[in-house]
Amino acid sequence: MDIFLQQIVNGLTIGSLYALVALGYTMVYGVMKLINFAHGDLVALSAFAGLTIYTSIFADGGTSIIAVITVFMFTAAIIAVVGVLLERLAYRPLRTAPRLSAVVSALGAGLVIQNSIMLIWGPNMKIFPSDLFPSTIYDINGVVITFTQLMILIFSSVLMIALYLFINKTKIGTAIRAVAIDQDAAKLMGINVNKIIMIIFIIGSALGAVAGLFIGIYYRGITFDMGWMYGLNAFVAAIIGGIGNIPGAMFGGLMLGLFNALISGYISSAWAETFTFMLLIVVLIFRPTGILGEKVAEKV
Amino acid sequence: MNKTTIISLGFLLVMGVFPFFADSAWLAVGTTFLVFSVVAFSQDIILGRAGAFHMGHAAFFGLGAYTTAILNTHFGWPILATWAPAVIIPMVVALITTAPIIHLRGDYLLVTTIGINIIFLQVLENDLFGITGGPNGIFGIDVVKIFGYELFEQIHMYFMAFILLGITLFIMKTLDGSKFGRAMFYINKDDVAAQSMGIDLRYYKLYAFAIGAGLAGAAGSMFAVQYSAVSPEAFDVLQSIMFFTIVLVGGSASLPGVLLGTFVMFVLPEIFREFETARYLVFGLAMILTMILRPRGIWPAKFGNIPAFLKKGKK
Repeated sequence: MDIFLQQIVNGLTIGSLYALVALGYTMVYGVMKLINFAHGDLVALSAFAGLTIYTSIFADGGTSIIAVITVFMFTAAIIAVVGVLLERLAYRPLRTAPRLSAVVSALGAGLVIQNSIMLIWGPNMKIFPSDLFPSTIYDINGVVITFTQLMILIFSSVLMIALYLFINKTKIGTAIRAVAIDQDAAKLMGINVNKIIMIIFIIGSALGAVAGLFIGIYYRGITFDMGWMYGLNAFVAAIIGGIGNIPGAMFGGLMLGLFNALISGYISSAWAETFTFMLLIVVLIFRPTGILGEKVAEKV
Repeated sequence: MNKTTIISLGFLLVMGVFPFFADSAWLAVGTTFLVFSVVAFSQDIILGRAGAFHMGHAAFFGLGAYTTAILNTHFGWPILATWAPAVIIPMVVALITTAPIIHLRGDYLLVTTIGINIIFLQVLENDLFGITGGPNGIFGIDVVKIFGYELFEQIHMYFMAFILLGITLFIMKTLDGSKFGRAMFYINKDDVAAQSMGIDLRYYKLYAFAIGAGLAGAAGSMFAVQYSAVSPEAFDVLQSIMFFTIVLVGGSASLPGVLLGTFVMFVLPEIFREFETARYLVFGLAMILTMILRPRGIWPAKFGNIPAFLKKGKK
């Protein structure tokens, strides 16, 4: 039972990271119908940028709340800018092109970001300092939860709730939903579609940046090509939840995280991805648009 | 003689005399180019013609290679005898794995086919039945022996691959005019209209997957013989992405386009090998630029709205 609860805690931690990344995928997909293959690499870029900001500004060790918040803010801002540039340069010119052209462009963009990371920071693994968060460990009846895990759980829940409220309760959120349903109609209603897409890339990239930093702090070791696997897992999570659906991405992320943790705990981590994709296939066989995805009538 | 014939003959001539001028390193690149273009054509049958978003083709390519490798090294089959299973096994596996997901639309299919590739890779790496050699792969694959001759030289490999490409081109040409090809063309243009005309989407898409996987398996077998070794990383998702990109960058459903795509995506990076580190950065930029400037590929198929086979009658 302890192992089970422990795996639940670990699963929820990694699941919230998947969920944060999955939100970036699902928002872009909802509006542009494009798998943003470069999103995973943005997550990796965020971990590297955050590490550099931390070591260059706070080199003398003194970790404080302010230091950590500064690192998060700066990194999120930088990644948001990169995300917007990505959309401007690689996706906007292809908005009317055949859909697969944009996919190739996204793959190319991912390659560019990944190799830029390699050229700037080198091909070797970089290690995050261990003192960003206090190394306190809470032991609740044999189930261990670290301070970092707790922060990940709390912080990502706050972000997700904030995003949910933003999408559902604000004027911009309404505009985002409108653009996702029908771009042309939204345009006729006076919504600036380009601006909305920019906002989506800012939010998605910033959430991905937070996830990237947490991945660095939680796992410590970061490599230039790690974005691909996190990205793919998060995208699978988004599809399982129902792509284009924001609560779906959160749900899918948490579910995939739990599933992965239980598989690693009880079967074998060497087969983790195989089980992930089996889960995906099973979900899609029974619910072709994901668990929370709505059944959309095909336009002919 | 029209333009197409001249271009094809020119291509065959260049590829035919190339091995007599190339050194051994370039001969290997040339051979791999031929093998990869066969795989690219098989990807094109699925992606470019049937219009099924398929990003796991390296799995079928690898399955062919591993079939040859395993039958040869573990069971002592001669290479020639492994050719048939190297085509049939990927075909059967493709049918079994894609049958439950073939109804998925666009991007859903794309991600699940990536999944097929990843599952295949984990089976290889975890050495499921103790015959795949794990992460190291399998070494010491035989050469082709025919009528007592051993075809072990680079140039033999080159011409075997050349013949395979010839067969592939013949198949592609035949497909265009066949019932299957016409159905594919229609499905790709407008699947709803095709369905209402009585074309069974599921049947034809599975058909495309089967042919594509079989052809990729043949290429895989050739690949295994060329390097006399197979290892998992040659068949990972990046490889699938490469085949996917080759078709779209070159021009889907276009024979010269796919060949050009293979050249651009595989041979050009080999030429720029000395710029090791910055190579893929430039490569990614080139992918974005190509798509922006030529969204339908460098050499797109030119059938406009009326395909050539319909125009034939009224000249």
